[in-house]
Amino acid sequence: MTASFAPEITVAELLAQAPPELDLRVIAGATGAANVIRSPRIQKLGLALAGFPHYVHQGRVQILGQSEVTFLQHLSPSDRQRAVERLPWREITCVLVTKGLTPPSEFLEAAERQCVPVLVSSLLSSVAILKLTEFLQRTLAPRAWIHGVMVEVFGVGVLLLGESGLGKSECALDLIQRGHRLVSDDVVEVHALGSDRVIGRAPERTRGHMEIRGLGILDIRELFGVAALAEEAPLELAIAFERWDPQREYDPLGLQEETLRVLDVAIPLLRLPVTSWRNLTTLVEVAVRNHLLRRRGIDAMRRFVRAHDALVAGEARDSR
Amino acid sequence: MQRRTVQVTNRLGLHARAAAKLVHVANRFQSTIALARCDNGQTVDAKSILGVLLLAASAGTHLEIIASGEDEVEAVEAIYRLIESGFGEEGGTIS
Repeated sequence: MTASFAPEITVAELLAQAPPELDLRVIAGATGAANVIRSPRIQKLGLALAGFPHYVHQGRVQILGQSEVTFLQHLSPSDRQRAVERLPWREITCVLVTKGLTPPSEFLEAAERQCVPVLVSSLLSSVAILKLTEFLQRTLAPRAWIHGVMVEVFGVGVLLLGESGLGKSECALDLIQRGHRLVSDDVVEVHALGSDRVIGRAPERTRGHMEIRGLGILDIRELFGVAALAEEAPLELAIAFERWDPQREYDPLGLQEETLRVLDVAIPLLRLPVTSWRNLTTLVEVAVRNHLLRRRGIDAMRRFVRAHDALVAGEARDSR
Repeated sequence: MQRRTVQVTNRLGLHARAAAKLVHVANRFQSTIALARCDNGQTVDAKSILGVLLLAASAGTHLEIIASGEDEVEAVEAIYRLIESGFGEEGGTIS
């Protein structure tokens, strides 16, 4: 169903694409501009400078903040030289100095020799780390293509799944008619943000388009206006349309909770048997309303079942 | 599950009308049929036109046809033949 790929960016691309507030410039090691950043997680160089280099990971941005720079300045020139030289330079992809500080010349000279780019930001470490992580999370988010249709219903990102011909696109069109918004038809590009969030969007070339059998390819923006489209939406609910199968048991209480793993994030999954007399659009809308209730801690099914079980248990006691 | 790799041979690549033909053929089968680009792994449903167009397969691209279902053998064979024959187009094929 999916093909996933993990993106990466070079230091040169980071410099070109990072948000302007980060205010990045290079002060040494420009020859390492092709070094590749693979993880949105940053590290601080403090312990490595103090002589414990074991956890420096390649592919991350290493932060050199006020404490690291002050530490280096407090060392005697020979100790400073030694501290800089024992850094695991091969493992260091790039260094970001915060607060507009200037690291000691020994550090910059070593970086230059080792072809490790040293960037400076005028922002405080805390702010720079936040902005940088946010940018890297977006840019380096693992992504995949999923066959399905994504709509934003009452502000909730819903992924409609199921084999071709079960009416996913028709249902989405119906939802648009009712004022909901299309994210993507047929192929949904999903991005994982951190370990618990997935964002869905349309691949650029098909964005704003749908295919409806018999009508062909439709331009949703032209037909329904810009409000009918959502550029992206957090994926919160998956609904799988399935051919009605009399052999299959459906949990009449709806207490079974299934999830779908999308890029390693568990998304609640509902299975909807499709028949000609069931109005899928209404079912999807109600499923989303129910999801919103649950998100607020109101679980109608559990409440109903609990009340019932208490009643039955109580009656059993009374009749004893 | 049945898999088979095929090279897009017609000069115009998997253009819109060719893609429509492919989707039409895929829809004759019960099996689920996926089409994947061998170079980057992008995979789409062969039964829907937007996905097939999104592959942007030009002449020379290698595609993998993956089908599973009761008629998977026939499905892979039919799509393989369609692509391999250059969609029966005039104007020739590469190599």
